[in-house]
Amino acid sequence: MKTKNVFSVGLVLAAGMVAAATLFFPAVADARDIKVGIVDTYSGPAAVFGNDALNGFKLAVDEINKQGVLGGKIVFTTRDEQFKVDIALNMAKELVLKENVDVLVGTINSGASMAISEAVAKKEKIPFIVWTAKSENITGKAGHRYVFSTAENTAMAGKSAAVALSKKPFKKFWIAGDDYEYGHAIADAVWRNLSKIKPDAEIIGKTWWKPGEPDLIPYLTAIQAAKPDCIIFATGGLSMTNVLKAMKTTGMENKIPVWIHTATDHSVLKPLGMDAPEGVMGTIQYHYYYPDSAANQKFVKDFQAAYGNPPGFPAFNAYTTAQFIAEGFRKAGTIDKEKFIDALNGLMVDTPVGKVEMRACDHQAVYPMFLGTTKISKEFGGAIASDFITLRGAEVMPSCEEIAEARKPK
Amino acid sequence: MELNITFAGFFSQVLVGLSRAMILFIVSSGLSFILGVLRVPNVAHGSLYMIGAFVAHSVATAVGGVSGFWLALVLAPLTVALISLIAERTLFCHLYEREHLMLLLFTFALALILGDLTKMTWGADYRSLTAPPFLQGSVSVHGTAFPRYNLFLLAVGPVVAVGLWLLTSKTMFGKIARAAAVDREMVGAIGINVSWVFALAFVLGCLLAGLGGALVSPTVSITLGMDHTIIIEAFLIVTIGGLGNIWGALVGSLIFGITQSIGVLILPQFAIVFPYLAVVVILTLKPTGLLKSVW
Repeated sequence: MKTKNVFSVGLVLAAGMVAAATLFFPAVADARDIKVGIVDTYSGPAAVFGNDALNGFKLAVDEINKQGVLGGKIVFTTRDEQFKVDIALNMAKELVLKENVDVLVGTINSGASMAISEAVAKKEKIPFIVWTAKSENITGKAGHRYVFSTAENTAMAGKSAAVALSKKPFKKFWIAGDDYEYGHAIADAVWRNLSKIKPDAEIIGKTWWKPGEPDLIPYLTAIQAAKPDCIIFATGGLSMTNVLKAMKTTGMENKIPVWIHTATDHSVLKPLGMDAPEGVMGTIQYHYYYPDSAANQKFVKDFQAAYGNPPGFPAFNAYTTAQFIAEGFRKAGTIDKEKFIDALNGLMVDTPVGKVEMRACDHQAVYPMFLGTTKISKEFGGAIASDFITLRGAEVMPSCEEIAEARKPK
Repeated sequence: MELNITFAGFFSQVLVGLSRAMILFIVSSGLSFILGVLRVPNVAHGSLYMIGAFVAHSVATAVGGVSGFWLALVLAPLTVALISLIAERTLFCHLYEREHLMLLLFTFALALILGDLTKMTWGADYRSLTAPPFLQGSVSVHGTAFPRYNLFLLAVGPVVAVGLWLLTSKTMFGKIARAAAVDREMVGAIGINVSWVFALAFVLGCLLAGLGGALVSPTVSITLGMDHTIIIEAFLIVTIGGLGNIWGALVGSLIFGITQSIGVLILPQFAIVFPYLAVVVILTLKPTGLLKSVW
């Protein structure tokens, strides 16, 4: 009898446990991992930026996962778009339809980002956070509910440049750059703002080369012969080092003032070492050596320990993106795409440069911009940015009214 | 926009175009030589050019100083030659009898593999090589600034051209190689080891790619992807010049380099199209290329 009793007690207990497990089961099932799909460039010349962003993201995700998000972790999978719009689009679709990712992030290519935003994010109703591409159209004219940007954009860069250049005695400008979305967007942004602030400024010529054009010397000698007061280079990572190098080779350095957005980025200046041209004006939202705050020092130290080199702006953007993903889902309280989007609106997260807001009206991260001038530093073994002018995010971003105006169907 | 072009500006721009053409010639003559003798459309030629640039950078930084630069110019082509010799003896030599499509796919695959190996060896970071001090900066040509390094290229190009001419027309190897280009069976029939002629021709062509890569490195940033740009340009040059004809490669390079630099001066906002426009015009008028093709 005794054994039978024990048996029945055991049976009841077991039944109770099963019942309890069934009761709690939904909660357990809900605590799943958040899947992030990354589409970015990991081959070709732009890979240096793609890898930097990925490292920044990994660093942040490792920290976040120690604590977890909604009982689960952030997991991610990457795809190499090879800096090509069609490949990027296919990969984004594959990540959404086959891998069932909760959030898409990427890419460095403005054209690819625009395409994913329109054909995947909007259509499949999946949040897409652009972390390196800088076309202002992403969160401006072509913005919508499902697209976000944690990159600074051409509108912000353009306004910063315009404010700075208008203070100099330049009248005759030459615009030269990469013949694709980013190049044209940044050139338009600078000129739109500059011609407003300084009505007597004029463009005496424009030069467009194909993105990544290796030898820019013929272009620069031709521009030099036209003797402009200042050159606005609308060029990105691919051609940036080539421009700086050609400036040195053609002897343009210190003869004609130039402004290039992100010229002060260390991934651009580092390869040139002590041969980087001095006096080049550049704007960017992040330097690993400025601002010299405790938060930034910690980020740089951790990053350097993990990857052996200091973080560039893509790493910073990606780190910030991971914070937005984690905090967004925490605020939403559930892994739901629509609730996540609502939660991101106006969300503030901690970043190495302080609190950063995701502006609700256009889904654009509000970053301050730093205008610096290249200067050779023996201590750094190459050029760094110096003579900083800091412009607050609100000063350089288009207003919510301007965004609404740009988004109006024409 | 007014067109404001001075004679001095024009002249210096032609010189810049000529110096660019020298690099194009060195690379595309190698491609053309391989096309002519081996009948292999070597898509991996651009990758060897890229490897040449990376090796030049490594050698120059490791040794340092002016001697590092000169050593890089010698060692980079030799390294590329060694890589190509291994590739030829292990892979290419089995494939010569295959059809062109097969060869094209094979060399394309090789280009992708070499591209990834480059990334694994050197990483994705941009690199920059500095020319020795006396080749830095610019000189004044009729009052317009002209980069010193480009003057150096203008001197090197003709040396390579003359060297190639002497090699192909004055040496036994050159004569056999040219004969093999026209009729490889006949060359084999008179008792010459065609296999080794092919190997040497292949290595010579690839050496030129490596030399081009080493020479170009002080003027551009050394990056992954520099193989893509050059291989497209080199194939276009070889096509407009006449397949397999080294002098065709020279003519094609001059056309390509000068249309680009003059295009930049005249209509800078459409600068990209000029060399390609020249290609279209030439191929429309003369589909076989300007000079006699050996195919």
